[in-house]
Amino acid sequence: MDSLYLAWRYIVFNRIKTLTLITCITLICFLPLALKTLLSVSEQQLLARAAATELLVGAKGNPLDLAMNSLYFSNEQPDLITMQASERVYNSSLALPIPLYVRFQAREHPIVGTSVDYFDFRGLTLASGRHFAMLGECVIGADVAKKLNLNIGDKLLSSPKTLFDLGGIYPLQMTVTGVLKKSHSADDNAVFVDLKTTWVIEGLGHGHQDVEKITDKQSILSNKEKLVTASAKIKQYAEITTKNLESFHFHGDPSVYPISAVIAAPIDAKSATILMGRYLGKKERQQIIRPQSVIQELLNNIFQIKDFIDAIIWIVSGAMILALLLVFNLSFRLRQKEIDAIFHFGCNRLTIFQLMASEILIITLFSGILCGLGLLLLQQYQTVIFNFLFIK
Amino acid sequence: MSTLPEKLSPLLAILSLIFITGAASANSPLTIAAANYPLKFFAEQIAGNQAKVAFPMPADIDPAFWQPNAEDIAALQKADLVLLNGAHYSKWLPKVSLSLFKQVNTSAVFRDQYIHQTSGVTHNHGEGGEHSHGETAFTTWLDFSLANLQAKSIYNALVKKRPASRQRFLIKLEKLQSRLSEFDHQLLELGKILNNAPLIGSHPVYQYLKNRYQLNLTSVHWEPEEAPNQQQWQAFQQLLEKHPSKWMIWEGQPAKETVEKLQSLGVSSIVFSPAGNIPDQGDFFSVMENNIQQLRSINPNP
Repeated sequence: MDSLYLAWRYIVFNRIKTLTLITCITLICFLPLALKTLLSVSEQQLLARAAATELLVGAKGNPLDLAMNSLYFSNEQPDLITMQASERVYNSSLALPIPLYVRFQAREHPIVGTSVDYFDFRGLTLASGRHFAMLGECVIGADVAKKLNLNIGDKLLSSPKTLFDLGGIYPLQMTVTGVLKKSHSADDNAVFVDLKTTWVIEGLGHGHQDVEKITDKQSILSNKEKLVTASAKIKQYAEITTKNLESFHFHGDPSVYPISAVIAAPIDAKSATILMGRYLGKKERQQIIRPQSVIQELLNNIFQIKDFIDAIIWIVSGAMILALLLVFNLSFRLRQKEIDAIFHFGCNRLTIFQLMASEILIITLFSGILCGLGLLLLQQYQTVIFNFLFIK
Repeated sequence: MSTLPEKLSPLLAILSLIFITGAASANSPLTIAAANYPLKFFAEQIAGNQAKVAFPMPADIDPAFWQPNAEDIAALQKADLVLLNGAHYSKWLPKVSLSLFKQVNTSAVFRDQYIHQTSGVTHNHGEGGEHSHGETAFTTWLDFSLANLQAKSIYNALVKKRPASRQRFLIKLEKLQSRLSEFDHQLLELGKILNNAPLIGSHPVYQYLKNRYQLNLTSVHWEPEEAPNQQQWQAFQQLLEKHPSKWMIWEGQPAKETVEKLQSLGVSSIVFSPAGNIPDQGDFFSVMENNIQQLRSINPNP
């Protein structure tokens, strides 16, 4: 006990030296363990979501972009396909389609255009409110609600594609109708709307004043028997309300409207194989992927890098341990006079050894506590860190 | 030798499919919502006590122009099936969010037979080019051969949900189709008897009836309960000069004043109800029987 007290007094007196030692030991322990934890979480998160999404249909191109955009709503934008791709899956009777249009953002959160079937497919439940039911309504993930401090009935404005996109996409003010329970997945960070709402954001559908009732001559360029040509002055609505909902309409054939991917939930393994076979034609412009294979390939690459990083960390850690041993050794040599004095006071060599060992024990104990706290924090925020590292 | 997870994967897939589609348990009746009365009637006839068919539209409106609120749609989202007429019938559909798996477009199989109209104001702004908010004719069930196909689509959707009841549904479908075919034959015969006699429809809802049964019918845009204004009467008289009809076919019972004025112009009124909404009396069969009876009252050679 006396040895511990004396060791503690020594450590408190030599604060800077002690802090340096604690930091070094903490980092040596924390870095490899943190990396291991992060990679394990990443693997778990990436693979679990990919495995739950058996098949994905998208435009031919980089399958990783398609998987990352569709599963984790990343900024990588795959080439677009049309709603006909969703109908194709449905008409095959081999799988059920869930179309996705992940292109726009609202205050730096991805807007995911889909159908209400997505929530059942992912097993997402509402913490409050209801699913989107009308054009212009949205359901937000738990993290979006927390970060933006949004509740049921609040408004959320979609962001223009670029800062100077003044003549392009009109921002749409959406109404929050539901907040999802936290799912510890990319869904927590997303804003969900009906596909049709994303098409309104894109400008394929809009609401405006009734052209037959406009009296302002500047708003109408010409009014022939069955053709009214409106000018840019015509008032287009930036928010869909119960009052103007009726005026919203779409132009053209909705089956050729854009989407980014289709989640295909096959009826059984045989259906999945048959469906995959239908996308193998040479002239095929769409691809069908198994996200699990794509993500596994990505992870294999990550693990190759991980092995390399692991090796470097072990070498650096080994060097640091040697350095620490040197530091302790030099420290004890520098304290030789002090040790001699203690010896002359009557302490035997065992007591001196206990004194030195207590100092090392206290320092490593503090390092262990700090390292443990760091790992606990890492586990607490693993999804946030995962999203930060891999999704955004 | 296959591993256990491999053996389980088809089962898991089926379970997930059931989970996705939100299928009700085999014993409880299916919850079905219909976009108009004919679809409700057909579904009830085919499903019998295996389904509860909801019809959320108020009694006093044309279901095609229903304006649902969020609560109405939230209720529809809970249904196992939502029967839609297709042919752009439900004007509310593009403005709401419904499960793609639950929607049944009963006219999708004869999409190529939709009748497209050219009326409606066209307008133009921005990059979208010219467009009209008009019109695909949507009272498809007045062509009873198409109504037959719609009934078959409902049957197919029901069988997908309840494969075990296939035989029971089939017997009921055949019974329904037999009645619809009877109407079809009667109207085909009637079309021949009418022998191209000019007819006027009070509202543009008889396109499929006209098409299938070879009726020489032109429609105006009048409402049965509203007396036409002076301008409408003038247009009507001009129409009579080009299209000398002695009969006007109404969707519902016209106002007495209108009937009398038409009579003074030598035009008799008969009612052929499309039965888009639930009839005040009787059912789809009795309304259609009455409609055919009304058409029979037309004498093409007075």
